[in-house]
Amino acid sequence: MNHIIYMSRAVRPLSDQDLHELLEQCRRDNALHNVTGILFYSHGNIAQLIEGEPDIIGPLYEKIARDGRHSNVHKLADKPITERSFPGWSMAFHPLEPQGFHELTDFLLPEAVPESPSTLTIADALILDLVRQAVFNTERSASSAAPTLSSGGA
Amino acid sequence: MQHQQLQHILKHVPAGIATLLGPELRFSFANEAMQTLLGGKPLQDQKLADQVDILTPELVEVMQQVYQAGTQFVAKAYGLKHALSEAAEDEVPRYFDIALEPLKDEHDAVQGLLVFVLDVTQQALAQQRAHELARETRRLDARLRVLTETAPQIIFTVDAEGRFEYVSPQWYYFTGQPTTADLNLIWPLLIHPDDRLRVMYQSESARKAGVGWSYEYRLRRHDGQYRWMLSRALPELHVPDKPVFWHGAVTEVNDQRELSEALRRGEAELRFLADSIPQLIWTATSQGFIDYYNQHTLAYSGLSGEQLGPTGWISLLHPSEQNLGARRWVHSVATGEDYEGLFRMRRNDGEYRWHIIRARQLADSRGPRWFGSCTDVDDQHRLREVLQAQYDELARTNRDLDTFVYTASHDLKQPLHNLRGLFDELRRAATFQDEEASVMLEMLDDSLSQLDVTLQELAATVQEQRQLNVPAETIDLQSVTEEVLLGMRPQVQETNATIELNFAAAPKLLYGRANLRSVLHNLINNALKFASPLREPRICVSSALSETGKPLLRVEDNGLGMKPGDAGDGMFQVFDRQHPHIAGAGVGLYLLQRIVNSRGGHIEVDSTPGTGTRFTVYWFE
Ligand SMILES: Cc1cc2nc3c(=O)[nH]c(=O)nc-3n(C[C@H](O)[C@H](O)[C@H](O)COP(=O)(O)O)c2cc1C
Repeated sequence: MNHIIYMSRAVRPLSDQDLHELLEQCRRDNALHNVTGILFYSHGNIAQLIEGEPDIIGPLYEKIARDGRHSNVHKLADKPITERSFPGWSMAFHPLEPQGFHELTDFLLPEAVPESPSTLTIADALILDLVRQAVFNTERSASSAAPTLSSGGA
Repeated sequence: MQHQQLQHILKHVPAGIATLLGPELRFSFANEAMQTLLGGKPLQDQKLADQVDILTPELVEVMQQVYQAGTQFVAKAYGLKHALSEAAEDEVPRYFDIALEPLKDEHDAVQGLLVFVLDVTQQALAQQRAHELARETRRLDARLRVLTETAPQIIFTVDAEGRFEYVSPQWYYFTGQPTTADLNLIWPLLIHPDDRLRVMYQSESARKAGVGWSYEYRLRRHDGQYRWMLSRALPELHVPDKPVFWHGAVTEVNDQRELSEALRRGEAELRFLADSIPQLIWTATSQGFIDYYNQHTLAYSGLSGEQLGPTGWISLLHPSEQNLGARRWVHSVATGEDYEGLFRMRRNDGEYRWHIIRARQLADSRGPRWFGSCTDVDDQHRLREVLQAQYDELARTNRDLDTFVYTASHDLKQPLHNLRGLFDELRRAATFQDEEASVMLEMLDDSLSQLDVTLQELAATVQEQRQLNVPAETIDLQSVTEEVLLGMRPQVQETNATIELNFAAAPKLLYGRANLRSVLHNLINNALKFASPLREPRICVSSALSETGKPLLRVEDNGLGMKPGDAGDGMFQVFDRQHPHIAGAGVGLYLLQRIVNSRGGHIEVDSTPGTGTRFTVYWFE
C-alpha cells in the first residue's frame, strides 16, 4: 500500500459543474480501483492525497499529472504506508451554489474536513496540514499565487 | 448515321451550342445545355431578341453587330445576372465565355451565328479570389513589414543553407553595421568567439533536422560590448516538403541573463556557505515545505534529502515534542511569524541533542521563503542544568543557614536573659571588695548588652532576608523616611542630631517597602551611632539620579569616619567592626549590602576619618 500527496494549480478556475463532474468520475473510478483519499480545491489551488496499491496509484498519478485541467503538479510524498488513513474518497471545496452539493456523500465543506488522521506519520500529517492551509488560506495564497493571465495587449 | 452521331454529341456537350439564322437571328439549333441556360423552354425558331431578359440587352446587341460585321467575337467571363442553369432562385451571378462565330455561305455572305457558351463561373470565381488574395497578401505583407521593423527584436529569415533571406533594420541599428554589409559573412563574426562554434552547430543541426531552435549567445553591439541574445526560429512547413525557410527573432536578454546569473551565483555561494557550516540549515517554500537541507543536516540525521522529504525534520524531534513542533510550524507558515523553539533532535547515532530551531520568512525575487537553522545547544543546556542544580543546592543551604542563625539567636536569647537576671541578682546580693571588681562588673554588663544587640540584629537579618522577595511598589521617599525617623526618635533626641531630608531630585522610588525602610533605618542608625563626640551630628539624607539616570540615595554624616583602607568590601562582612568600642555595628551593614545586592544594586562608601562618611546606594546598578 502506498500513498501520494501532490499540489497543483488549476489552469482556469473550476466551476461547480467541473467539480461536480470530477467528483462523479473520481467516485466511480476510485471505488472501482480501491483508491481512497481526499482532494482539496479552492480558488484554483488543488491538493490531493491518494492511497492504494502502488501499481494502481502510480499510473493514476501519472494520468492525473498529465490532466490538462491543471498544471504545476508538484509531488510532495510518494511512499509505502502500513494502512489506509481514509475510509473512502472525498472532495472538499466551497461550491458557489452549495444546495446541490450537501446531499452528496463524498463532498465536504473545507470547514468540515477532519483533523489529519493519526494513522499518518507526523511528517505526512504535517504535509497534509500545510497543503490544506495552502489551498484554503486564500488571502495569503492569493498574494503568492501564480500571476493571473492578463487580458488583451500584445 | 454520322449526322445522327454528331447530333448526339452536340446535344450532350457540357457547353451551350446554338445556331441562329437570318437577320432576326432565330434559333435553328440549340443543344440541351443551351436550352437549360435559357430557361428550359424549346427554342426552335424563337427570336434572339426574346431572350433579352436572360441574355442582357448588351449581349443581344453585340450578337447583332457580329452578325452584321461578319467577324467573330469572344466575350470572356461574361456575367449573366439571372443564370437559370441549375436553380432558378440561385441569385449568384455566373460567368461564361461566349464565342460568337458568323456562319457564312459559299459566297462569304453571313447567314447566321454559331454561339458557343461555356460556363466558367468556377474559374472566374477562382480568379477573383486569387485577385483578392493577392491584394490581401500585399496588405498583410505591408503590415508584417511594419511590425517587423517596429518590433524591438531583430527579425530574420534564413534558408536551409543558413543564408539570410531577410533581416529587419534593427540588426543594423544594433550592430552598427552599414546596410551594405554582407550579412552572411559578418553575422558569425559578431558572435562572441566563445559562443560562435556552438551557435553555428546548433543552428545547422536544427536546419538539417527541419526543426526550430532556441538558444542564447553573445552578440557584439555597435559600441563593442557583447550582449546576451536569445535566438528563436521556427521552420516554415509545407508538409510533406522539407522546410525551405526559417523565420525567427533575436531578442536581447542581457539584463535578465545577468540577473539570473547573479541569482544563481548568489544561490550557489549561499549553498556553499550553508554546506560548510557545522549547523543545521534549511530553506522552505512560502507554503512551509522544505526545499533544501544543508550538508550538515544530512550528516547529522544520517538521512538523505529524499528520505527527509518536505517535512521530515519533524520526525527528528523527540516524539514528545513533535506535535508541538508541527503545530507551531503550521502557525508560523499561516501568519508569517518567526518560528522559534528549543527541541531535542535525534542524531544519526540515536542520541537526542538539544537544539534551538529558528526560522524567519524572507522575500526575495521568487517571493517569500523560509530560512531556518537549528543550533546545537546541548552542551550549554546540560551546563545550565548542572548550574541550576548547584544553584538550587546553594539556595537551600543558604535557607538552612538562615534558619539556623534565626533559631540559634532565638535559642540563645533565653540563656542570655537568664544570664542577665543572674548577673543583676549577683550584683545586688554580693558585695565586691576588690577595687577592680566594679570595673569588671561594668565590662561584664557591657558585654552582655552587646551580646543582646548582636542577637537581635542577627534575628533581624534573617527576617529581612525573608522579606527580600516582596513585590516592589512606588514609594514616596519623604514620607517613608519620616516614618523611619519617627521610630528612631529616642536616638535622635539623645544625640541631639540635625537631620536634613532632600528628595526633590528623585522623590519616588520603585522598591520593596520593608527593604527601603531597612536601608534607611540602618544608614541613619549608623550615622547616629558613629557620631563624633566633638560636634553635634548633622545627617543629610537625599536622593538623586546617577550619571546613567538611575535613582540613588545618599546618607552623609559628620561623624567619626573610617580608615581609608577599610572602605572596601571588608566593611560589609558580618561582625566586622569598624569601631570596636561601639555596640553592634557589623550586622547592619552586612544586611544592607545583601538587600541592595539582591535587587541588583550596590553601595559605595566615601569616608574621611574624623570628618565624616558618605554612603551612596545605587538602587539598580
Ligand atoms: C485535480 C484532479 C484530480 C483527479 N483525481 C482523480 C482521481 O482521484 N481518480 C481518477 O480516477 N481520476 C482523477 N482525475 C481525472 C484523471 O486525470 C482522468 O481525467 C480520469 O481518470 C479519466 O481518465 P481516462 O479518460 O483515461 O479514463 C483527476 C483529475 C484532476 C484534474
